[in-house]
Amino acid sequence: MSAFATAGGTGPRIFDPATLPGDDNVNPYTFCVEMAGGRWFLQKGKMIAYYGRMSFNGVGYGPLDALVRSAFHSPMHAADWVVAEGTGKMLLADRAYDVNSFDLDDGNLTVRSGNLLAFEPSLSLKQSIVPGFLTLIGTGKFVAASNGPVVFMEPPLRVDPEALVGWADCPSPYHHYDHGYLRGVLGGVRSLTGLGGASGEEHQYEFSGAGTVLLQSTEKVLAERATGAGPGRATTG
Amino acid sequence: MLVVRLTGDTVRAKNGSMVAYDGRMTFKKLTGGGNGLRGMVTRRLTGEQMEVMEVKGEGTVWFADSARDVSLVRLSGETLHVEAENLLCTEGGLRTGTSFAGLSGAAQGDGLFTTTVEGTGQAAVMSGGPVVALRVSPAYPLTVDPGAYIAHQGGVRRSFQSGAGARTLFGEGGGEAFQLRFEGEGVVYVQPSERATFGGDL
Repeated sequence: MSAFATAGGTGPRIFDPATLPGDDNVNPYTFCVEMAGGRWFLQKGKMIAYYGRMSFNGVGYGPLDALVRSAFHSPMHAADWVVAEGTGKMLLADRAYDVNSFDLDDGNLTVRSGNLLAFEPSLSLKQSIVPGFLTLIGTGKFVAASNGPVVFMEPPLRVDPEALVGWADCPSPYHHYDHGYLRGVLGGVRSLTGLGGASGEEHQYEFSGAGTVLLQSTEKVLAERATGAGPGRATTG
Repeated sequence: MLVVRLTGDTVRAKNGSMVAYDGRMTFKKLTGGGNGLRGMVTRRLTGEQMEVMEVKGEGTVWFADSARDVSLVRLSGETLHVEAENLLCTEGGLRTGTSFAGLSGAAQGDGLFTTTVEGTGQAAVMSGGPVVALRVSPAYPLTVDPGAYIAHQGGVRRSFQSGAGARTLFGEGGGEAFQLRFEGEGVVYVQPSERATFGGDL
């Protein structure tokens, strides 16, 4: 008799609508929203499954006009968002990233647009002045994803643009460059051409003031290098 | 990563998924998914191709593929429907085959056919991120995004729902234009990430 085993034990736990958590994480990568006739703004493609009766409509759908007027102010991202309404339980996930819900209490938080999964209409969504970021203002709950768990830091701080998930309460960041091109001709040649090598860390976002900065533990993935393969096999990778 | 302890018996695993073993093992590639000549022809015709090897011996084997998560599914007589690319390993006593999934298969981006696993024993399925197992019963049917669907087992009817209408054409779609609806009695497995699907951006 063969015996199978994985890190997950004998098999995944089986959920039904009664055992799924309400407005909480099912596991670090899946979040369950409990809907009771209310509405949620949802980024397209982040819903993976639902129990119950629900409908999904684009933000341009006529009957949603009043809601969109009060809570959605991001024409650049209008095509990426829908409104879910109905009753039931809805599972959200994104690229197997870590997902977490956050509560805002009369506050503001700016987050990378691709990492915001859903928010309650009691919050208002604005386009951030920093390209690619969205700002949520008001009181309510939202769900956001990060590649690896979120780390909370306090300014003053310089962060790698790719590791930045968002920030709350502090002023918008500004660019900071470590370029050595003011230090002689050779430095200029190096920064413009990459000759002599660059660390890849010459540019950061700098935060000042009081607030919280949210970081993820991932940056851009570096290309894989071939490690060799057995005879007669093509090297992939 | 899946660990299998063998005591002289066999398991079938995705070809090339062995990452390590301890003990005495033989690995033999099975032609045509291990379903005999008829199965081979069916798989060739349906495009639901599955490269399978038979692993036999005594000791411990570790299987893995692309760092994907592995979940165990125990079958006691019912049928598991799973896409061939998500099936990692099955116990020797389980039979595999192909079945017609209809239009819903096309929406998953995985072709019109799906792989079935029948019998009694354990199977290991793979997912991008840990799977969430959701029970379906007559009282609560389930709707799933085709890109997040991994597998289902038991007496579940799968149907294909399209919410695409005129508004989809004008770029005002609901974002979830194609959905899979499951009714009946059984378990559906979903993953917390989405494959690229035909209807993914609608």
